[in-house]
Amino acid sequence: MADDKDVLRDVWFGRIPACFTLSPEETTEREAEPYYLLLPRVSYLTLVTDKVKKHFLRVMKAEDVEEMWLEYEGTPLKWHYPIGVLFDLHASNTALPWNVTVHFKNFPEDDLLHCASNSVIEAHFMSCIKEADALKHKGQVINDMQKKDHKQLWMGLQNDKFDQFWAMNRKLMEYPTEEGGFRYIPFRIYQTMSDRPFIQKLFRPVSPEGHTLTLGDLLKELFPAAICAEGGWHQR
Amino acid sequence: MAGERNPASCYLDERTFQLCCQLFLQHSETIQDGWSWEQIKGTDEGFMKKTVLMPVKPSVLHKQHEYSIQDENMVTDDIQANVEDETAGVQAVCEIHAVLRYEYHVLYSCSYQIPVLYFRASTLDGRPLSLEEVWSNVHPNYRQRLQQGPWDTLTQQEHPLLGQPFFMLHPCRTEEFMKPALDLAQAENKRMNYIVTWLSVVGPVLRLDVPLSYSTEVSAPD
Repeated sequence: MADDKDVLRDVWFGRIPACFTLSPEETTEREAEPYYLLLPRVSYLTLVTDKVKKHFLRVMKAEDVEEMWLEYEGTPLKWHYPIGVLFDLHASNTALPWNVTVHFKNFPEDDLLHCASNSVIEAHFMSCIKEADALKHKGQVINDMQKKDHKQLWMGLQNDKFDQFWAMNRKLMEYPTEEGGFRYIPFRIYQTMSDRPFIQKLFRPVSPEGHTLTLGDLLKELFPAAICAEGGWHQR
Repeated sequence: MAGERNPASCYLDERTFQLCCQLFLQHSETIQDGWSWEQIKGTDEGFMKKTVLMPVKPSVLHKQHEYSIQDENMVTDDIQANVEDETAGVQAVCEIHAVLRYEYHVLYSCSYQIPVLYFRASTLDGRPLSLEEVWSNVHPNYRQRLQQGPWDTLTQQEHPLLGQPFFMLHPCRTEEFMKPALDLAQAENKRMNYIVTWLSVVGPVLRLDVPLSYSTEVSAPD
């Protein structure tokens, strides 16, 4: 893991430049300027767009304001997916900045989860961490950690503190050397072409014969459509 | 032969999950309990589902002003209304209920290797219920229990197969209540149907009734 520190930092500090524009459907007292923001790939929209909300609330009447939600080219953006996933899923082939539309009414109940407060985001994040550890270590590592350790993990994400986050996360990324890897690899393959939001199955990192398996092996087994016949890669 | 038995596993593999569901569904068919199997196209995965119309006290729903006796929607939503004639000078005794549509899904979680209960609720005119409204419809006996753990509770979640917002009962405590049932069955040399036992425990929390005949009539898979 020590050798991968550069990669870990690059992943953590990945950013997407975004331009937020208020939907023309919203009732405003005066024109609102678009708001520009660099979004952390590893974080969640509702966690990092407080400034966006404040900016647009300035031109709106309180009675016209309900829960804020975001949309890209007609598609409501699922705040509970990491920002990087949302961008790669919906806009990776388009020019930057990512143009996102802001709404304050007509919340799409059939598409989006509500996000009443940061504690909802925290609960969701911790739930994902717990599920991943269930796959990696039968949940033993996360359950052995104290409440304050869980809190530190969350605060590291919330406050964009790489060292604080990884001080805790490294425990979740360790495995006994004799095992050769985690029990199962926690992964999700997100797709836009079906109702099913993602593919998630059990996958062992080591074959029965003892070979370490790669991402390509995983895709070949669980999502062969992603790899076309010539051995190249399909987009999305 | 005397000897130490291994404790029964609280975990369920997907094949056993599907077999238990099949047996469950056969009985549901027999007693017309309304459960059906939804297969995911092109895969060997699926889930059980059931839709229920449920009368609840109007206080469960937040928009109190919509539920006056004169309200048209209210009249059409009524299941029981005992409004006595005012001109007869009798005190009107009204037991007017709102009707909600609850849709329950039983899915398999391969991460936790157990079944999980998802559901969504709406009024008859299609308005989805908020988490607060769903909470107030949880049986009072269970509310305190559910509030204890940060992850052992009711939350809104994306349905992993349909991609839409549902509510989910977190599965973290499943082992806790399944273990005694499984151990007992093993001690008595009985084989139980995991889904029947599990749903009989979690269902009532969300006002899902699982008739007693399931426990006597549904067998375990071979």
